[in-house]
Amino acid sequence: MTAPEGYVAVKRYDEIPEGGIVPFEVNGDERILVKLEGKIYALSGICTHEYAELAEGDLEDHVIYCPLHGSGFDLETGRVTALPATQPLPVYDVRIVDGVVYVSREPRQG
Amino acid sequence: MAAYGAAEALRAAGCDGSVTLVSAEPVVPYDRTTLSKAFLQGQKTVEEILFKPAEHYQELGIELRLGQRASAVDFDRRELVLEPGERLPFDTLLIATGAEPVRLRLPGFDLPGVRYLRSLADAQALREDLSRADRVLVVGCGFIGAEVAASARTLGKQVTVVDPLPVPLAGPLGQEVGSILAEVHRRHGVELRLGQRVAELRGHRRAEEAVLESGERIACDLVVVGVGVRPAVALFQDSGLPIEDGILVDEYCATGIPGVYAAGDVANWWHPGIGRRLRVEHFDNAAQQGAAAARAIAGDPQPYAPVPYFWSDQYDLNLQYAGYPGPWDQVVLRGDSAAPSVTAFYLRQGVVEAVVTINRPRELRPGRRLVEARARVDPAVLADPSTDLRALAQSVRQAE
Repeated sequence: MTAPEGYVAVKRYDEIPEGGIVPFEVNGDERILVKLEGKIYALSGICTHEYAELAEGDLEDHVIYCPLHGSGFDLETGRVTALPATQPLPVYDVRIVDGVVYVSREPRQG
Repeated sequence: MAAYGAAEALRAAGCDGSVTLVSAEPVVPYDRTTLSKAFLQGQKTVEEILFKPAEHYQELGIELRLGQRASAVDFDRRELVLEPGERLPFDTLLIATGAEPVRLRLPGFDLPGVRYLRSLADAQALREDLSRADRVLVVGCGFIGAEVAASARTLGKQVTVVDPLPVPLAGPLGQEVGSILAEVHRRHGVELRLGQRVAELRGHRRAEEAVLESGERIACDLVVVGVGVRPAVALFQDSGLPIEDGILVDEYCATGIPGVYAAGDVANWWHPGIGRRLRVEHFDNAAQQGAAAARAIAGDPQPYAPVPYFWSDQYDLNLQYAGYPGPWDQVVLRGDSAAPSVTAFYLRQGVVEAVVTINRPRELRPGRRLVEARARVDPAVLADPSTDLRALAQSVRQAE
């Protein structure tokens, strides 16, 4: 199985628990996978406000909250839903091929 | 902060009128919470703490009047008077003047080498002084005092903190959590003088020594005073606006004068969810209340009824609070107070009024949900480490 061009394989879909936040790295870049209502989201793993690992954060209503200061980011778009962060969180495209979750190397633009 | 929250929200709500942001500070809105922490420790620059660069306001079509202090307001003519005399007409006024540090009027507190911390300019001056100081005296162990003490220790300074309370932060956080924080400061080498007051400062050209009421003398080359703030209402004192511990507003951030709103530290508002007035001196409230006022101004008023939230970082400790300030009759601790890795629940007549997490961020949002639901939970269940707080919060939410 080869990854789609520009994507990296991360994990088998079945191995990610519903409501789970799974940290992973691409070339030392920390990211997270989130499974919510069966759908997979891929985002940067570090809050854009101050250094905090979002894998330690919390999910509520399709928003991931930073564990340290409560910044909120929309899972779909990375848009800030709650300060103190003001910069959006980079989001990555996800493809599922033969039960394997692939994530784009480059963040989605705009 | 409230002004920034409002500016963004006004445009987001589709308000296309002309908007002017007037600030006595010569800088676009910035994250004040960093001033006592990352900025003071030299980990962040001014550019890094601005919410958005000046061009952003241009893109939003918001005129900036920075470094311009308002000296008077005329509600009959609906004009704001700027120093030295320009008059700015308005249809709608949002007051987001914040709060000002309480100044100590004791002997010697007018000497050079005595600093307060509220504005960026204060923080820049303090950072400069701190770079030359060895012995720092912090007067007051509230959040600002505690954070400045932690930053100064982190920079390797000798630090002494004096506070009149036997347990720091006992007012907002209670004896149990206050004691935990005191222990953390002691462990980091801060000298605490609790239950004590400074009688005077002495020095020739600068503050060089503090004399406590007990008679103890503490040598210092920098004094930082953090003894609380007052809402910045001087501009409105005789304007006809109702003022009582801040500017009184309703749940839509509206004052008694049509078209005049207030938000943030300066606003004392009616919280419809808990049926009483609150005035909150924290970042999150300023951001959210500013946005709430903007929605009301844009013609979409919604009752502002949040669970207040704030955080404090000291050393590598992260504290978060969600809840309604005010009296409680029971504090339930969960976890390890010594580490510390602990969550505290504040109950009043069995209802969870507030939650504090210390180095346990994952319990904050479930705890907050309990507060929001005005849940009654058996204290033994809260304290039990085997209780799944998320599941508990979920069940309470579903039962609503």
